[in-house]
Amino acid sequence: MKRTPEEKLLNPKPGGKIAAARDFGIDLTLTVSQLRLSPQQRIDNLQSGMKFLAELAKARKLGPVEKVK
Amino acid sequence: MIDLEKAITSLADNNVEYVVVGGVAITLHASGYITQDLDFCYLRTRENIHHLVTALNPFDPMPRNWPDGLPFIFDESTLMNGTNFTFDTSIGAIDLLGEVKGIGNYTDALANSVTYQIYGLEVRAFTLEALIISKTAADRPKDHLVLPELLALKEALDPNEE
Repeated sequence: MKRTPEEKLLNPKPGGKIAAARDFGIDLTLTVSQLRLSPQQRIDNLQSGMKFLAELAKARKLGPVEKVK
Repeated sequence: MIDLEKAITSLADNNVEYVVVGGVAITLHASGYITQDLDFCYLRTRENIHHLVTALNPFDPMPRNWPDGLPFIFDESTLMNGTNFTFDTSIGAIDLLGEVKGIGNYTDALANSVTYQIYGLEVRAFTLEALIISKTAADRPKDHLVLPELLALKEALDPNEE
């Protein structure tokens, strides 16, 4: 029986491109999560991720804040 | 950070002919990669360039890293005199590509695209195969970071692959 894309990503065959991506350091569980979403949901997640990265960039510019004693 | 809804809605409202080719297309194919800009390949006819200028002008495009105080006019002549442009706008970074490495011009991009429905609009974006070809041809360090996941997705979605 043919395996689904999710099954292939979560249990890659040795020597294939999926195994190579896993060994490269790609978190394929996140790829599976993305596959379960609609294109609109993927874009909404991307937009949220962009906002988060923009906030991180702002925080990096401000530098660390003093801990309250 | 690009406001994708504003950008895509304005392009649609002004009937711009374009194909999404970069990180946003990668996201549409279910990669977890996060881009900060919108890259698209556009049809380089005078009419489409007029539509493109009308669509993007409200967002005050300026070439990225343009020197402060140096005047710049975003109009049809500017776009006719070049091919690929990187702009900062009031809604974020937008790259306009008349040619995409490894694929070609808009006609080639269109032939290598699929339609997605986002924000209630039909948007053309590169196929997974076209993304792999263009990223391989671009051959920059950032392309090598996304290629393993794109190749993995291609293998996972291939019905002939076990």
